Formats: sequence, C-alpha cells, structure tokens
Amino acid sequence: MLKKYKTVEIDKNINLHVIKTDKFKTNMINVYIKRPLSKDEVTKNALLSMVLSRGSKNFPTTMELSKELEGLYGAGFVCDAVKKGEKNIIRFAIQLVNDRYVDEENVMKKGLYIINDFINNPYILNHQFDENYVVQEKKNLIERIEGRKNDKMSFAYGRCIEEMCQGEPYALYEYGNIDDVNAITSKALYEHYKNVMSTSSVDISVVGDIDERLIEGLIKENLKFNMDHIVDIKREQIQDADKVTIIKEVMDINQGKLTLGYRTNIPYEDKLYNALIVCSNILGGGANSKLFKNVREKESLCYYVFSRLQKFKSLMMIAAGVEFENYDKAVSLIGKEVEDMKKGNFSEEDLMGAQNSIITSIRSMSDSAGTLSDFYYTQSICKNEDSLEKIIEKIRKVTKEEIVQVAQNIKLDTIYFLNNEEEGRTYEK
Amino acid sequence: MKSKIIESKLLGEKIIQKKLDNGLEIFYMPKEGYSKQYAIFATKYGSNDSRFIAPKDNHDTIVPDGIAHFLEHKLFEEEEGSIFDKFSELGSNVNAYTNFTSTCYLFSCTDRFYENLELLVKFVQSPYFTEENVEKEKGIIAQEIKMYDDNPDWKVFFNSLKAMYKEHPVKIDIAGTVDSINKITKEDLYKCYKTFYDLSNMIVFVVGDLEEDKVFEVIENNLKEVTKKNRGEIVRIYPEEPNQIAQKVVEENLDVSIPLFNIAFKDTDNSTDAKEVLKKEICTKIILGMLFSRSSDLYSTLYEEGLINDTFSSEYTGELNYGYSMMGGESKNPKLVLERVLEYIKNVKENNLDNSDFERVKKKLIGKHLSYYNSIEYIATTFVSYYFKGINIFEYTDELKNIKFEDIQKRLNDHFNEENSVISIISPK
Repeated sequence: MLKKYKTVEIDKNINLHVIKTDKFKTNMINVYIKRPLSKDEVTKNALLSMVLSRGSKNFPTTMELSKELEGLYGAGFVCDAVKKGEKNIIRFAIQLVNDRYVDEENVMKKGLYIINDFINNPYILNHQFDENYVVQEKKNLIERIEGRKNDKMSFAYGRCIEEMCQGEPYALYEYGNIDDVNAITSKALYEHYKNVMSTSSVDISVVGDIDERLIEGLIKENLKFNMDHIVDIKREQIQDADKVTIIKEVMDINQGKLTLGYRTNIPYEDKLYNALIVCSNILGGGANSKLFKNVREKESLCYYVFSRLQKFKSLMMIAAGVEFENYDKAVSLIGKEVEDMKKGNFSEEDLMGAQNSIITSIRSMSDSAGTLSDFYYTQSICKNEDSLEKIIEKIRKVTKEEIVQVAQNIKLDTIYFLNNEEEGRTYEK
Repeated sequence: MKSKIIESKLLGEKIIQKKLDNGLEIFYMPKEGYSKQYAIFATKYGSNDSRFIAPKDNHDTIVPDGIAHFLEHKLFEEEEGSIFDKFSELGSNVNAYTNFTSTCYLFSCTDRFYENLELLVKFVQSPYFTEENVEKEKGIIAQEIKMYDDNPDWKVFFNSLKAMYKEHPVKIDIAGTVDSINKITKEDLYKCYKTFYDLSNMIVFVVGDLEEDKVFEVIENNLKEVTKKNRGEIVRIYPEEPNQIAQKVVEENLDVSIPLFNIAFKDTDNSTDAKEVLKKEICTKIILGMLFSRSSDLYSTLYEEGLINDTFSSEYTGELNYGYSMMGGESKNPKLVLERVLEYIKNVKENNLDNSDFERVKKKLIGKHLSYYNSIEYIATTFVSYYFKGINIFEYTDELKNIKFEDIQKRLNDHFNEENSVISIISPK
C-alpha cells in the first residue's frame, strides 16, 4: 500500500507527517493549525481564513497569486477553516505538480515559499489587515452564512445537529454567525491572527514522491513557526439523550428533507467503536443497507437514504428525502430498522457485506493524497497509532454480539423535518 | 483479435486496447501501486437519444423523456433480485450514471476484482423488466427528480440550456419529468435496451493494478454474443438546431438567499469532426482561463466591486453536434455581471489577447491535466466520454501544446458573441 509513513516533531508543538508514495503526479502539503471550536473564535477563524487568502506580503493580490500558481503548472492553493469535532482547524494546502513530469525545477520549494508567505507574512497595512480586504470578506462571509439554506439537504442535516447539540460547542456553525461578523474590526482580526500564530499546535503533512530527509530540511528551512503557550483544547463531551425533540421547519421546497439524530454513547476510544462503524454501515451505508433495501427499494419512499457517524461526538445521523405526506411513514420505517439492529435482526451476509464495504473504503483511502493527509491528521488528533491495515483487522473481528450491544446503546435524540407547511417543536419521552 | 497499445510519454501512462469480433471495444489502463480497481461498462446512449430508427426498423421511434436514465435504474434488477446484494457481498461499490450522451455502469473494489468484473459484464447484458418492477421504480425516480428540483445549482444550469436551445434534446432534463416517467412501459425499456445495448455500441474500460491477460479473458468469457450479427446501424435523429438562441433571459424563483446565475455562449460552428471538436474545446478553455479565471482583470474587478464572490467559475462543454461555454456563481446583480462580461469581451477583441497570459494558461492546463491522472475514477469516466466523441484522451496534451495564439484569437471572435449569449438567473422568492 503505502511506501512509508513517519511523524517527527520538528519544533516545539510542530509535527511533521511524511507520507511517501510515488503513485501520484503531484505532491501535496497541508498545514493544519488547531484551534478550539468556540462561539468566541469560530466567526473570527472563518473570516481570518478568507482575509489571509486575499494576499500576502509577496503576493498582495489574488491576481498575483493566481499568476504565480498558473506558472507553476496550475498549482492549487487554499486556505480555509473547518470544524472537526469540537476543534476548529485553519488549514493551508497546496498541491504541486511533481517536477519529474514538467520542464520546471524546484516546484516544491517554490510552493513552500508561497504557503509560508500566506501563513507568516500576511498583507499588512498600517499594522493591521488591509481594511478593504476585511470589509469585502466580511460581506462575503455574511453571504456564505446566509447561503447555508441554498443546499437544502445539508441545511436540514446541519440544523438537526445544531438543535441536538444546543449548548455544546458542536452546535456552532462552521462559518459562525452574522452578528459576530459585523462586530469584527481589522485591528481585532489582526490581533486574533497574532494570537493564533503564537498559541496553536501545528501539524504539517506532506504526501508525495519525496525524500523524507530532504523534505524535513526543506520544511524546517521554509516554514517557520513560533508557537508557545498552546491553547487548551478539551476532548469532546459525549452526552446521552433523555427525550426526543421533534422539530419541523418550513421552506418553500418540493421534497421534505428528514434528518434523525441519535446519541450512540460509544466514544471513539472505546474498543466497541469499530462495532458502531459496522452497525451504521449495515443500517445505511450503501445500496445493500437495510434502509436502502427497505425504505427505498421495497417502499419506494425515497431516492436517497443513509446513515453516517459523527466520530468526535459519537452521533449517528440518518437522512432521507421524502414526500411531505410520507413523514410519519418514513419515521416509523427508519425507527423499525434501528430497532431491528437492537434485536439482532440482521443476517451474517449483512454483517460480512458491511465489513467488506468498510474495508474497501479504508483501502481506497490510500489512492487520494487529500484523504491520506486527513486520515493521518485525524489519527494524530485521536492519539491513535493504528495503520490502515490495523484498522481493517479490527473491522474484520467485529462480531454480531458486539453490534447488538452497541445498537442497544443508541438513542434517538432529535428528529428534524424541513417541509413546506408545518412548523413546530414537540417532545416525546 | 490482437491488442494495440496507446502510450503517452508525457503522462507516463499506457492503455491496452482490443476490439472484439462482436464489436465490443475493451481498454485496460494499468495503474501500478493503486489499491482501488475500477471498471466501467458503457453504452453510447444518453438522454439526447430520444428519437431514433432502430436497426432493421423502417420507422422512427420517439420515447418518453428520461427513459435512458430510467433504464439505468432498472438494469440493476435481475430475475433473482437486486444485483446490489452480490456486489455488496464482495464489498465493492457498484454504481451507474446517465448523462446526455452515455450511460455507464461501474464498480470499484480493492479485492476479488475478477469476480466483480464478471458480475458487471453479466448484469449489464441481462435486462429483466416487469410491469411490477417498472411501476415500483417510478416512485423512487420521482423522488430523485424532486431532489433536483430543490437544487438551485442544477436548476440554474438546466435553465441556461433551455435558454440556448430551441430544438436540441440537450434542453430536456436527463431524468425527465414526473409526468414523462409515468408514461414509461416495460416495452419501451426493452426497445431502447435492444437498440442501444448492443455490444457494438458499447465499451469496457478497466483501470487498476491488475493482470492484463486476465482482464481481457474475464470480459471475453462472459459475453453473450461472440460474433457480430449483421444488425445494421442505429440512426439517431436530432432536430435541426438553429444558430439563434431560444431566449435571452430565463429567470426562476427558489427559496435561496442570493441570486445564482449562469451566463452561457452557444456554439454556432458545430462540427462533427472529433479532431476539430477537441481543438475547439482546448482553445475555448484557454480563453476562459485567460479572461475569466482568478488571474484575470475581470475577475479582480468584479470581485472587488462585490459583484461576484469566490463561487464564480467557468467551463466549456463540447460535444459532436453542440457546445457551449458557461460561467457563473452567485451575485446580487447578475444582469450587471452579464453587461460587464460582454463589455469586457468587446474590449479584449479590440485590444487583443495577451501572449504571456496565453503561455501561462497553457502551462496551467497541462499541469491540471496531469493531476487528473491521480484519480482512477476521473481517468475512467473521462476516457469514456471522450472516446464516445471519437477522441483519445491521451491526445489532449499534444493537442494543447500545438495550439497557437492565432487559434485562440480566431476562436474568441467566433464564439464569444453577444447574440449567442444567454443568462439564467435563480432569484430568491
């Protein structure tokens, strides 16, 4: 599979993950800056990633950066802020063609120069971010937050999590909220940047056909950090459900978007977590899952229906698009499938099919540089040293009894239904 | 039949190609070191083929809109049940998609490839349509159609096709409408199947780290027809499409936060020569890169003025008898964006394109093309769509290098004209 994976601490609080493989035509560098997910920071982090993207000392405009990237055979560069459990990750990524395929030397070095310039030398005027950039990006961020409703499926999914985790940091929307955007000044944002750049732990991952020692040297030379007094980030709390909240909201749409949120009560550190992965896959992992076979194929109730885990919070989410009038029927059919898991009403073939499908997905991860990079970063966050092969081995060992055991801990917490007329909030014990 | 090898030195890749007596063409691209193995069985039959004369018929057939896609759904059904179960047992992911010009069945796996391949080859050759299973599918597809009705990106795209085309079936939604699919019968499905799922109208593309001989052997051993019968040609009837656009502006309201827009330029010089289609495509992509990407004056100006945001992008689609450029994203004032785009094009035509932009964008496109070969899914699906147009995708980079500055100047004048332009807008309700 992989040729080599190695992690080294190259400086205080700075870890380098080198994933060596020669199958890609490009090399990829990701720099992850880890922040707590909090009401106080989430909007600032989103805005920061957008303002930093606008320009650096040596590439002060989008045009200058884009021309440089195009000249480097269409290198790809992004800076964004994402939610990963109750962490908020500010990420800088660059994908560069391997010089072996083109008439250009030192592509890697030139790429590192760009990424470092955007991280460490932002475009500064009068000791703060350029006011114009901040004003424009505040407007763009507000548009993005308002635009959340445009994708109805993910809106319903996100709203369910938000309602379910009220009061927990996990309820926060990745891009923050509009009032907080309005309150941010250029000066405050620059202060925030300086704070981020001195109090965060940093992970750098490099995927590609690279000599480990060479890349370590190149990174140390070209990517500089000075991180001290690292901000404390707590492991996510796992909460149980005490009642079921049913929320119905209205939008002018053609199809109802249903999401059910469950508390699984199995943290990812638990050895039963692998059984939970298999359990969710049997339920709604793919075309052979119980939800697909029974709710879609047998009842013709929907086109999409799936079950997915939110690893850091141990949530299980089930989503489907159904006719408005089929709400009750869909909720009861989905409920029945979950009940069946608790009773052990699934076959050996279901179990084996789910295991095999998970194993295929795990193996496939090594074919994408982005996925590999994210996998090793997630593993390091979880302080888990299992390789892909080791995880596969554990998935293979999951038994029916373990699945029933985890299924019995799964509790429905929230039902969210986006529809075209009914609004309200009710509770059930 | 003897096989032949297509090679690309620049990409460092090769494809082994073989044409069988029954007309089927098979391609295998070795991808050393990849975990995933992937195969597509494709027929040159898409939503555009709604009117045709089947071989040996003396009359034309007009089928309900959405039938190619409906057929794709139904092919997964076998007499003994759904084919999903069998793939799932092997842990592989089976899927399919229908677009304007092709229908493709595919799977990806990391183990037991040849068993999967056998299943794929067999099930695509075994239609099983009954009145009952056809009826049942109507509910599922109706939900798929409604899911797309709630998707503003899809709507804004399709409305721009409707604005450009008066007659061509590309203006019709791939999945049809709830009304049109309700008219579909099992006889219609068999008629389309017999016409378009003949091996002489199909190809198989395989990619992965596999054994060449075995790939061909498994496919050949599982084909129902070994020799070619004299079946005659399929005549595809496309209505005469005038050069004029159908409608300058198409507007629709959906529950969105900000208007979405799509500006399109309709091709008027429609060639059916594969080489010309490829050259036209590359020329247009270079122009789009020079004039509308992030390195361009227009992008910077519109962005700074707050008329576009980072969702703005452009693309070109070139088929054998139609083609168009599209650009769009979100804007508070889409009509003003159109005005500015047209004004800008007029200016560039008067003052000429810039040669250094041209050289840089060519470099970018070479690098981007190289990076696509990281993804075996991308390779497979792209190969198929180009092959059905009569283009070998390995010729892409050679053709790209051959493009001269004069070529794009000519293309700019031929294609980007106000009278061929349309705008589709989705506004908030």
